[in-house]
Amino acid sequence: MKKTKKSSGIQRKYLKYTAALLGLALLLSSLGVLLTVRNQMTRLIVDKYEYMTERMGITLENMFKKTDETTAECILYDDVQQSLQTGGLEEVNHISLSKYFAYIDLEHVADYCYVDNKGNVYTRSYSDVSYEDIKDSGFERYLGDDYSKTKWFWTKDTLFGTEDNALFIGRYVRSLDYAHEPGMLFFKMEDGFLREVTDISPDLTREAAVGIVDREGQLCLSFAPENFKTGESVPENIGEMVVRKMEDQQVLSGEQVTGGVLSVYRDETSGLSVFSFVPDRILNQRLISVFLVLVAIYLLVTAVAVVLSIYFSRRFTKPIQVIKETMTEFDGNNFDRTIGLNTHTELDEIGRAYNKMLKNIQRLLDEIKAQERELRAAELNTLISQINPHFLYNTLDTIYMLARINGEETTMRMIQALSKYLRLSLSKGSDIVTVEDELENVRSYMEIQQIRNENLFSYDIDCCVDPVNTRILKLILQPIVENSVKYGFQDIYEGGRIVISVEEKEGNIYLNVYNNGTPIEESVMEKINKMNTMPVSELKNCFEDKKHGYGVMNILTRLRLKYGDGAGFYCQAQKDGTICTIKIPGGVGEKDEN
Amino acid sequence: MKTKKLLRIEAAAVAAALALALAAGCAEQTPEPGNVSEEVSIPVILTVDSSTGIRNEEKLINAFNQLYNGRWQADVEWIMETEEEYRQNLKRQNVTDTLPALITDLRMLPSFYYMMIEDGRIEELSKYIEADEEWKAMIEPSVLASCREEDGSIYLGPISTAAFACSGMFWNEELFAQAGIESFPETWEEFWQCCEQLKSCGITPLALHTEGTAWAPMLIATAEVASTEEGADFMQQFYPETYQNESGLRIAKTLQKLFSYTTEDALYRDFDVAYENFFSGQAAMIPNGYWMMDQVPEKWQDKVRFSAFPENKLISSPETFGWAIVSSYSEEVKEGAAALLKLRTRMNMEQREELFSKDPSEMIPAERDYIAVYKNSPQLVPNYQVKWNSILQEDTLGEILPELVQNKMTPEEFTAREDESIRRFLEEQ
Repeated sequence: MKKTKKSSGIQRKYLKYTAALLGLALLLSSLGVLLTVRNQMTRLIVDKYEYMTERMGITLENMFKKTDETTAECILYDDVQQSLQTGGLEEVNHISLSKYFAYIDLEHVADYCYVDNKGNVYTRSYSDVSYEDIKDSGFERYLGDDYSKTKWFWTKDTLFGTEDNALFIGRYVRSLDYAHEPGMLFFKMEDGFLREVTDISPDLTREAAVGIVDREGQLCLSFAPENFKTGESVPENIGEMVVRKMEDQQVLSGEQVTGGVLSVYRDETSGLSVFSFVPDRILNQRLISVFLVLVAIYLLVTAVAVVLSIYFSRRFTKPIQVIKETMTEFDGNNFDRTIGLNTHTELDEIGRAYNKMLKNIQRLLDEIKAQERELRAAELNTLISQINPHFLYNTLDTIYMLARINGEETTMRMIQALSKYLRLSLSKGSDIVTVEDELENVRSYMEIQQIRNENLFSYDIDCCVDPVNTRILKLILQPIVENSVKYGFQDIYEGGRIVISVEEKEGNIYLNVYNNGTPIEESVMEKINKMNTMPVSELKNCFEDKKHGYGVMNILTRLRLKYGDGAGFYCQAQKDGTICTIKIPGGVGEKDEN
Repeated sequence: MKTKKLLRIEAAAVAAALALALAAGCAEQTPEPGNVSEEVSIPVILTVDSSTGIRNEEKLINAFNQLYNGRWQADVEWIMETEEEYRQNLKRQNVTDTLPALITDLRMLPSFYYMMIEDGRIEELSKYIEADEEWKAMIEPSVLASCREEDGSIYLGPISTAAFACSGMFWNEELFAQAGIESFPETWEEFWQCCEQLKSCGITPLALHTEGTAWAPMLIATAEVASTEEGADFMQQFYPETYQNESGLRIAKTLQKLFSYTTEDALYRDFDVAYENFFSGQAAMIPNGYWMMDQVPEKWQDKVRFSAFPENKLISSPETFGWAIVSSYSEEVKEGAAALLKLRTRMNMEQREELFSKDPSEMIPAERDYIAVYKNSPQLVPNYQVKWNSILQEDTLGEILPELVQNKMTPEEFTAREDESIRRFLEEQ
C-alpha cells in the first residue's frame, strides 16, 4: 500500500488564509504604492518642468524690467524732454534724436518710432513712418490709461507696414515739468527677443513644447521639439486655455490637460504668459522604469512571503501533527507513547494534559482489572460456598434432631438461629432483600451471639417502615451488630443493649444500630465518617490492618456501588454508647434487577 | 464554526486596516492653506539727512507701522539725497510712472505741483478729510486755507501746524559775543551793522549758498523786501508778472549785499554746505525753519539761538511741506496713505501741544527763542517757493545768482533774467 503524506488540514487552511491575506495585502499595497509613486513621480517630473517654466517667466519679467528701464532712460533723455517743450528741437537735434534710439541698450529691436507732442516723428533714416501712419496704426490704444507705463503688445505691424505679427514695446513720453500732451515711443521687436526666454531652458525645449501667450490668448511664440510624435501636438486652443486658467493666478502648477501636462507662468507686468506642455509620453517613460523596479520588488516579496509562509506553517503545525498522530495511534495498550513538545506555546500544555490523561486512564484500567480479579475471586468463593447448601441444611436438621432427642434446648435454638441466618447469607444471587428478611437475618445473628455470650446483651428492633415492601441491600446490619458486640461490649460482661431502628425521612431510609457499650474512639469515628467523601476505589485502603475495618469498608463499598454517592455510613459516639447509621437514598428502594 | 467566523472577521479587519493604511499612505500631503497676509504696503520715499544721518520722519513711520500693524505697512525707501535732488527725482519718477504712493516737498515745485493736478496725478483729499471728523478737528484753519486751491479742492495734506512752518534766523551766540554783540539785531540797519561788526572781528556773518533755489539767501532777501508795504504786497503775489520793479531790484541788491558777508564756498553750493559752515563755527548766522531744531548737533545746542528776521518777520507757508497722495495707486493704498497723513497731522498737533506746554528750562535755547518769537505776533511773509515759477527757482536762480554776487551782473540784469524765466514759463504753460 502506497503511503501518501497528507498535509495538515490546519496547515492547508493556514496557507489558504495567509495566501488570501497576502494576495489582498499585495494587491492593495501595490495599488497604493503604484498610485502614490505615480503621483509623486509625476509631481517630481512636472515640478522640474514647472521650475523651468517659472525660470522662463522670471526671465520674461527681467526682460520687461530691462525694457522699462531702457524706455525710462529714453524719456529722461534731454533731447526727448526738449522735444516735448513748446520750442521743440532744432533740425540738427531732431536728426540726432532719431539716431539716438538706434543705440539704446536694447537688443533685437527690429524698428522704432518716437512721436513728440507736436507730431514730429523720429525714426530710422530710411523709415518713412509719418504722424498719420502712427495715428492710423491705432497703436496708441495699447498704451492704455496709465500715465506712462511700459506696455508690451502682440499685434499686426500696421505701423511699419510689414503686416507681420510682432511684439511691440510702447510708452507715453511725458514732460518732466509741464502738463504738455505726451509723446509716444514704440519699438518693434524681432522674434529673437522672445526666443531669449525659451533659450534659457534648453533641457525643457528638448522634451516639451513651450510658448508665450498674450492677454488675449494670441500665441506670440510656440516651439515644439522635433521628436514630438504624431498626436503629441500642443492643444490647438492653448492660447484660450492659458488665458482662461490664468485669470486669477500667476502660476499654473502642472495641470493635466488632454495629451499632457501644462505649466504656465504669467508675468503681470508684461501681460505675457510663458507655458510648457509636456506630453504624456515623456511622463510615462520615466514612470515605466520605476514601475519595472516596483514589479521586481513585489515578485521578490511574493516569493519570500510564500517560502516563509510554508516554513512557518510547517513549524506551527508540526507539533499539532505530533499530537494528532500520538492520539489517533493510541491503541489502548501502549501507555508509554506520550507527547513530548517544547514549542513554548499552548501546544505544550495540550501535550502535558494528554500525558496526564494517559496516566489516569492507565491507573483506572489497573483498578478496574484489580476489581475484576477480586470480583471473580468473590464469585468463586460464593460458588464454592454454594456447592451444596442443601447438604448444609440437612446436616443442620440432623444436628437439630439429635439435640432435640437429647433435650439440648440451647443447641436447638442455636441451630435454628444459624439456619435462619444462613438462609439469607447463602441466598443465591439476590443482592436486594426486604427489610423483613434483613431484620430476620440480624436477629438470628444476635440470637447466636446471645447464646455464645450469655447475659451479655439484650436487643430491640424498631421498624417504622413497611418491612415487607421496603427493600434494601442485604447483609448490611450484621457487620455493624458484630462490631457492637466485638468492640462495644469488649469491656462488659452483662447489661449490654443493642437497639436497631429503621425509619424513612425525607425520602431516604435510615437504619440505626445503637449499642450502649464503650463509645467508639474519636479517631476511628472520624476515619469512618471521612470515608463517605472518599472515592470508592480508595475505600479498601482505609484500613491498613486488614483484620480491622473490613466490615465497615465492605458495607460502605457495597452501599456506594449500589446507591451511588447519596448512600452513607456514619458513626456517632455518645455518652452511653455508639450509634451507627446507614443512609439509603430513594425511599422504599428498588427490587434487585437480578 | 466559531473559528471560521473569527477567521473571517480577522481577515476582514486586517484587510480594512491595510486599506486604511494604504489610503493614508496614498493620500497626498497637501499643505494647509496658511493665512494670507492682507497687509497693504504703502510705498514711500523719504530722505536721510546727509549732515546728521537722521532719517527724516522716522518716528512717524514707526508710529504708523505700529498703529496699523496688519492692515497697512509704510514701506519706506530711505535715500541719502538733498531736498533739491529729492524734488528732481520726483519729476523723474513721475514721467516714468514710478512715484511712491506718498510724496513730500511737492509744493516747493509750483509748476510741477500744478502739472500733477492737471494730469490727475495726485489725489484730491477733501473726501478723506470731510469723512473724518477727528482729522478735520486736528487741522488748523490757517493750514487748511493754505493748502486749499482756488476752486476749493485740496491736494496737499494739511499735516503741518503754522507753529512749525516758520523760518527765521539761527545765530551763534558765542561768535556774536566774540564780536561784542549781545542780542540779535531788531532792525535791518542793525542787521547790516551786525554783519559788519562780525566781519570786522574776523567772523563770517552768514552761511549761504546759491543752489537749491538759493533757499538761505532768498529767505533773508524776501524777509527784507517785506519791510516795505510794496515789498510785502509783492511777496503775496502768485507768479509775479515781473521782477523788474522796485521790490525785485531790492531783493537783487539785498542778495548782492548778503553774499559779501558769507563764506567763500557759498557759490554753486547747496544748503548742506551752508549748514556745515554754520555748525562748524565758520559762520555766525544761517536762516532756516523750525524743522532745523532736530538737526542742531548736541554740542551746539547751548550756543545756537533763534530770532525772527529783523523787524519781527518770519517766512511762513504751512503748505510748503507738500505731502500728497499719488492717484495711480489702488484705493486701499490711497486710504492707507491718507491715514499716514492723518497721523502726521496728529503728531504735529501733539508736538505743538507738547512744545507749548513744555517747561522752557527743558528746551534748548533756540527752541525757547522760537516759541517766544512765534508768540510775539511776528509778520508772516509767504515763502517765495510757493509763489514763484519753477523755471526761475530751479534753473534761473542757480545761474544768475552767482553772476550777481560776483558783480558780473547788475541787479537790473538780474531782474531782467528773472523776467525771462517768466516768459519761458508762460510759453511752456
